Amino acid sequence: MVRAYSQEHTYKHPWERVTSASWRKFADPENKRILSHILEVDTLNHKVDSSSGKLYTTRAITIHAPGPWFIRKIIGQDICHCVESTVVDAKTRSMQLATRNISLQKYIEVQEKIHYDPHPDNPDKWTICRQETSIHIRPLSALASMAEKIEQKCVDKFQQNSAKGREVMERMCKYLEAEASGISI
Amino acid sequence: MGILRDKKNKSASLATSPCAQLRADYHNCFNRWYSEKFLKGQWDKEECVSVWQKYRECLSQHLDDKHLSRFLEADELLDLTSQANPKLEKEVPK
Repeated sequence: MVRAYSQEHTYKHPWERVTSASWRKFADPENKRILSHILEVDTLNHKVDSSSGKLYTTRAITIHAPGPWFIRKIIGQDICHCVESTVVDAKTRSMQLATRNISLQKYIEVQEKIHYDPHPDNPDKWTICRQETSIHIRPLSALASMAEKIEQKCVDKFQQNSAKGREVMERMCKYLEAEASGISI
Repeated sequence: MGILRDKKNKSASLATSPCAQLRADYHNCFNRWYSEKFLKGQWDKEECVSVWQKYRECLSQHLDDKHLSRFLEADELLDLTSQANPKLEKEVPK
C-alpha cells in the first residue's frame, strides 16, 4: 500500500526570492536548529545549460529518522540517505525538486516532488508551492501487520517536518527581502 | 527480534564533515551567483569554479557511500523531476 498526499502553500514573495530561500534553507544555522532531522546536505553535481538557461543540481541529503525501538532493532540504523535533483528554468521561472531515498529501500520508499511557480493570481509578487509526497512501506513478513500503522506515522512525521520547512522558508524569504532593501534584521 | 538486522548498513554514514568548510565556501558562492547572476539571465558564464573543484575533490575522498559516489561523476546528472515514476536513471541534460 502506498500513501500519497499533496500540499499547497502560497508564499507572498516573488518567485526569485522564494527559490533563493529554497537553496539557503538547509545552510542557515538558525534553520539547522529547527530542521534538526537534516544532518548533512552536500551538492554532488551541478550544471548550467547556457543555451536554455536551465540549472541542474544533484544533492545528497542525510536525514535522521529515529523510529520506535523495535524498528531500529530491525533496521539497525536511524539515518537515511536521500538524493534530491533540482531543475531551475530561469526563462520560464520554474523550479522543480524531486527527492527520493536511496538507502533503506528494502523497508521504505519515499518520493517527494516540489514545484515552485509564480502564482497565477499575482505572478510577479507571489509564489505557489505544490508538494506531492508518496510513502510506501515494504511489507516485510515481520512488519506486515505494522506496516500500515508505520506508514501513517511516517505521513504524520513528514507533514510535521514540511510545516517546519515552510516556517523556515518564510523566515528566509523575510530575511532576503530585508537584505534586498538594505535593512539588517 | 533482530533476526533481520543488517549489520552492513550500520556504518553507513556520509562522513563529509571534513569538507564542511569547503562546502560552506561553495554554497556561499553558489547562493550569491544564483541570486545575482543566474536569476538575472547571466547564465552563460561559469562561476565558483575553483571552490567547487576543491569541495568536490574533498567529497570524492570522503564520500564512502557507493550509491552517492556515482552522482559525483562528471557529466552525469540525475533528473528525477521529469519522470512520472522515477527510477535511479541518470540523464544528461541536453
